[in-house]
Amino acid sequence: MRRRSLVAAAVATALVVTGCNRGSGDGGSSSNSAPIVVGSTLSLTGAFAATGQIHKIAGEEFVERLNAAGGLLGRKVEWKVLDDQSDQAKVSQLYERLISQDKVDLILGPYATPNILSAMAVAQRHGYILPQHSAVLAPQLTYECQFPAWSIGPTPNSFIPNQLFDALASLPTPPKTVAVLTSQSGSAAFVSDGFGSDKTGALSIAKQRGITVVADVHYPPTTTDWAPIATQVRDANPDLVINNGLGVDAVNILQAMKQLNYRPKQMFGLFPAPGPLLALGDLSEGMLSVSMFEPNKPILDKLGAQATEITTKFSEKAKAANLPYTVFETQATASWNAWEILTGAVKATGGTDQKKLCDSLHDKGVDTTFSGHLTFDPKSFNFWPTTQTLKQIQKGDWVVVWPADKAAAPLAGPRA
Amino acid sequence: MNVVQATLSGALIGGLYALMAIGLSVTWGVLRVINLAHFGLIMVGAYLTLQLATSWGIDPLLTLLVTVPLMFVAGAALQWLFDRLALSEFNSLLVSFGLLIITIQVTHNVWTADFRRMGADVNPYATASLSVGRLVFPVTTLIAFGLAVVVVAGGHLVLRRTFAGRAMRAIAQDSAVAGAFGVDHRRLSLLLGGVVGATAALAGTVFSLSNALTPDTAYEWFGIVFAVVILGGIGEVVGTFAAGILVGVLSGVVSVVWSPATAPFVLFSAIILALLLRPRGLFTIGAAR
Amino acid sequence: MKKGGLGLLGAFLVLAALGQFAPELGLPSFHLILLGSVCFWIAQATSWNLLSGYSGYFSFGQAAYVGVGAYTTAVLTGRHGVGFFWTVPLAAVLCGLLALGIGAVAFRLGSLRGEIFALLTLAVPFILAAFARINRAVDGGQGTTLPLPEYPGFLGTFQQFQYLLALAVAAVAVGVAFLVQHTRAGSALTAIHDNEDVAEVLGVPTFRYKMLAIVASGVLGGVAGSVYALQIGFVTVESVFGLTIPLFVIVMGVLGGRSHWLGPVIGAVLIVTLQDRLSSYGLDEYNSIFLGAILAILVATAPAGLYARLRARPYAALAGFVVVFGVLYILNVWGEMLDWLVAGMLAAALVAIVLGTRRRPAAPAAAAPAHLPESTVEDVGAPPAIGPVLVECREVAKYYGGVHALEDVTLDIRAGELIGLVGPNGSGKTTLVNLLSGATRPTRGVIRIDGHDITRLPPHRIAHVGLARTYQIPKPFDSMTVRDNVATAIMFGRTPMSLRQARPLAERHLATVALDHLADARPGRLNLHQRQLLEMARAIASDPKVLLLDEALAGLNPAEVDNAVRVVRRIHASGITIVIVEHLLRVLNQLATRIVVLDRGSLLADGDPQTVMSDPAVVRAYLGKQAHV
Repeated sequence: MRRRSLVAAAVATALVVTGCNRGSGDGGSSSNSAPIVVGSTLSLTGAFAATGQIHKIAGEEFVERLNAAGGLLGRKVEWKVLDDQSDQAKVSQLYERLISQDKVDLILGPYATPNILSAMAVAQRHGYILPQHSAVLAPQLTYECQFPAWSIGPTPNSFIPNQLFDALASLPTPPKTVAVLTSQSGSAAFVSDGFGSDKTGALSIAKQRGITVVADVHYPPTTTDWAPIATQVRDANPDLVINNGLGVDAVNILQAMKQLNYRPKQMFGLFPAPGPLLALGDLSEGMLSVSMFEPNKPILDKLGAQATEITTKFSEKAKAANLPYTVFETQATASWNAWEILTGAVKATGGTDQKKLCDSLHDKGVDTTFSGHLTFDPKSFNFWPTTQTLKQIQKGDWVVVWPADKAAAPLAGPRA
Repeated sequence: MNVVQATLSGALIGGLYALMAIGLSVTWGVLRVINLAHFGLIMVGAYLTLQLATSWGIDPLLTLLVTVPLMFVAGAALQWLFDRLALSEFNSLLVSFGLLIITIQVTHNVWTADFRRMGADVNPYATASLSVGRLVFPVTTLIAFGLAVVVVAGGHLVLRRTFAGRAMRAIAQDSAVAGAFGVDHRRLSLLLGGVVGATAALAGTVFSLSNALTPDTAYEWFGIVFAVVILGGIGEVVGTFAAGILVGVLSGVVSVVWSPATAPFVLFSAIILALLLRPRGLFTIGAAR
Repeated sequence: MKKGGLGLLGAFLVLAALGQFAPELGLPSFHLILLGSVCFWIAQATSWNLLSGYSGYFSFGQAAYVGVGAYTTAVLTGRHGVGFFWTVPLAAVLCGLLALGIGAVAFRLGSLRGEIFALLTLAVPFILAAFARINRAVDGGQGTTLPLPEYPGFLGTFQQFQYLLALAVAAVAVGVAFLVQHTRAGSALTAIHDNEDVAEVLGVPTFRYKMLAIVASGVLGGVAGSVYALQIGFVTVESVFGLTIPLFVIVMGVLGGRSHWLGPVIGAVLIVTLQDRLSSYGLDEYNSIFLGAILAILVATAPAGLYARLRARPYAALAGFVVVFGVLYILNVWGEMLDWLVAGMLAAALVAIVLGTRRRPAAPAAAAPAHLPESTVEDVGAPPAIGPVLVECREVAKYYGGVHALEDVTLDIRAGELIGLVGPNGSGKTTLVNLLSGATRPTRGVIRIDGHDITRLPPHRIAHVGLARTYQIPKPFDSMTVRDNVATAIMFGRTPMSLRQARPLAERHLATVALDHLADARPGRLNLHQRQLLEMARAIASDPKVLLLDEALAGLNPAEVDNAVRVVRRIHASGITIVIVEHLLRVLNQLATRIVVLDRGSLLADGDPQTVMSDPAVVRAYLGKQAHV
């Protein structure tokens, strides 16, 4: 019995080994009529899928528009997007497949910082350029041909708190006390605590500016019961609540505070899911957050008809895909930028030679619809001077309020 | 004051934990099925409440009229399946885990992975609360606690006082012998499966009242719900309730006094300790098992 | 064993060559990454199977080892500049210590079995994850990026290197699992899986073997975790301490089969490649649905896993593979190499499952009526001479809470005696048997066997001193043949030996109880009488000085009782002292050399059968209630 199964196994192994030479012979050969294939993964299922979907819709719209306008270098562009299931281990595997097996011409980053870091290692091994949407923590992104589509400058951990405090300092009654609520997630905690040996963050900057930190709470990303956090904030009753959290953290905290009959005077949320906050109605009015772009009328007017068209089309597609929040904002903008970085470089070099693409971006930068001309300096990990703004919920909508020259409406102060 | 408030809020949210755990505990103790698909039922119940409330604009609590019967049928169907397959306790865990994965993926395909929550217009409960002096009781947790009390009291009375309840306890001890005494094992377990499904609907609705939904949340419940089941004693209705409150209070107080980050650490260390000292549960009086 | 080992080595060499010469063979580097991932999961599933499959201690905590392993490597190389190769052994040590801790706590308490153990292990990764989050000094709160390690140039590209590394780890893991299965440890773990108490009483040092399994599992899991860190390149709490890892290894173990070293390998290969193919066809939305369905359907239809089915029908499965693969290869109209391979493997699995279900292995003659020897008069040999005191109980008492199960019993048993232990229900007979065999410890008093104080000894040590017992309800090892049931007892007796050495000896003991014709059957096919005889054969196989028979005749018909009595006499004649607990006084009267009566925990009478049976106190206490005279 055992011998039989061994023989069977041996034959199977032999077949596999001899067969391995064959297969995947085609692909890779690029005649001029063949489409240019762009490969990437996105988290279409799993923990990051909520945002992954936004990037998918934005990317599809971009490719559609691009092909409608004649494609790239006269060739159609085809986007091969795979689902990494929000699993980092899958990301490196899939990028390896896109590059070495499917032999795609170009790649684009996945969504979420851990995934991007995994993809970056593969891109580096194969020398592909990697425009990426959403990893903002500059020192982590060490590959010189990685190009961020969303930049908070080289030190986001000090830029974000400083921008927030600057904005609030412009008010008649700047905050004197602050409560900092930090999610222990790699994508948020650095804004409170700094990164690596650089300990600058909201906590240290507040102290430095003479603002008293009356509550400093770190909570795990798996938190389900928000009442204890809300209780602490209520009792400290600060002028400002900073929530360096993600997703629906801010919603949960606001709601838990409301259940205690408490409303924060002013609150800032780092990377909240935009839709659920608006669904809170009056409760979230005045909430602050960071933004790269909001389709506010004055801003769209400044950018021109094309931007309006893109954002409107996106919303239609998002609605058709059953997304609950359909506005073209930061994440979609990052996606658009990434595509423009990629295609801009191809246009500038007239080909898909990765080395040339990388050099061209370093030398000439690229033009984007929503963030203007971007320049990439390898010394600051290619993070371009940030255009990030602060947005605020005003009358049930997100509006850019800071800095003043980019604002669509003035910053509203704390509640009475 | 903080600690008093945290204790009370914790106890109340413990009602929700108990509501989620009770079905799992009873099917495990009485029917010898570790039904992970229960988490899937809770999830689907929550999404149904959200969907019905938002698209028809009805009060989320009224959706129970739809979700409870639906989940009753689903629970009974699950139980029918487990009966048919005649699985061992451990294999039931694996099969139901397979079903849970499928349920979550289907939920995902239907409602997307995005955070869904009922808007303030349809859900007046999310932010409402009662206050007594400085102490505040959120309405959602009061509802959870109230429902848990009803389910626990009802379950306890049924299991103790009625023929069906005694028959179920007999099944728990030895289904073959119980069968010999004229207990219709099949029909009773279908009934119990249905009732357990109904509790999943209750838990789902209550959860959706105060939380944003995303399909993967179901996995996040594993830790705390199993903690409640184990601490309460498998198959112990009242014990599960007590354990729910204990877990709620413990994590609430640790979060306030120490930090929310420490809460899971303390909670799960406490569970290991409890498992070592009283593996049959802290509140076991010796009922179903 | 030799063939399996050579096959394993050969497979390893072929796969290693595949990696080393990948560029020459035209293997895209993606295939190496995929193979590396397959190897990682093979290592993990095998690590899990070492404990959870072999011994049945189902663990949900595999993420703890992956997490600790990955974190050790990531933090030390990424944040402290330690060389990658130094961190691997460190990860092994840390995970070994972690496993040691979990085992030391969990296995000390007999109550932590089954689901309780599973849930205990579920809590461990939660605690570790919380710990890593609380102590931001560990990973700086941001997760850790790994630098590319320095490795010898002849290993080729990074993809080749990481594949070869993962292959090496997988090979070590599978090698360990192979060795464990083919040595005494494997038999011990199977015995623990089937019935831990019985294993212990038969002389298996269960604690030691469970610790061995959990530590091996931890070390392998940790090493594979540390290589995993390299494969994913960036390590966060969420990516390594999550539920995905335990869930996947469980699915793989269940799919492939848990009782054989090849099981998890088959499971890992199938699941990883299938997932990859699904995603390449954009079917990710259905990926989890497939996975869930596979798990649910397989557990319900083939709980023993694919390996057992493949082994039952290897050629049919191979034919399925060759046909599907060959047709796709020749037609070359759909898909590519990997698709054909996966389709072929699925076909093989399907064929094996379907055919394996239909054709059960030919039923052995177990269904035949109990084989009772014809001759009723048989010379079983003279009973042994009565010798010195062998078992001493000095004022032994056992209280359960307020219940006094046994009260100051003092009793001597001499070598060569055949003692009938009687008494009404609840008189303390079984308690005494449990105390003697070490299943419970006395509240006070001393028990000595052959001069050794066994009062505080664990059961397996007592077995080695020379005591064996049977159970009222037979408890055979269900997954072993009748022969291996007995052989296991021999292997872990006073003279340790291998399964190969023990098997022929087992036949002898089976002959003693007249079960030799059923040596190849599974215990599930035996009737009650045959199971009782198997109990006896297994007990005498451990070469005891004293044998405790706990109601070995209960539930038998008169002919079977006669046969059993003959067997008992034969065992006695071979020189083994016997204590038999029995209700049938008629039988004891003619069998026992001495009768001991217990009543309400105390010694009521002790003497030769005639005297005891006519003792008025005995008649009142015992005969008044039981009418078995």
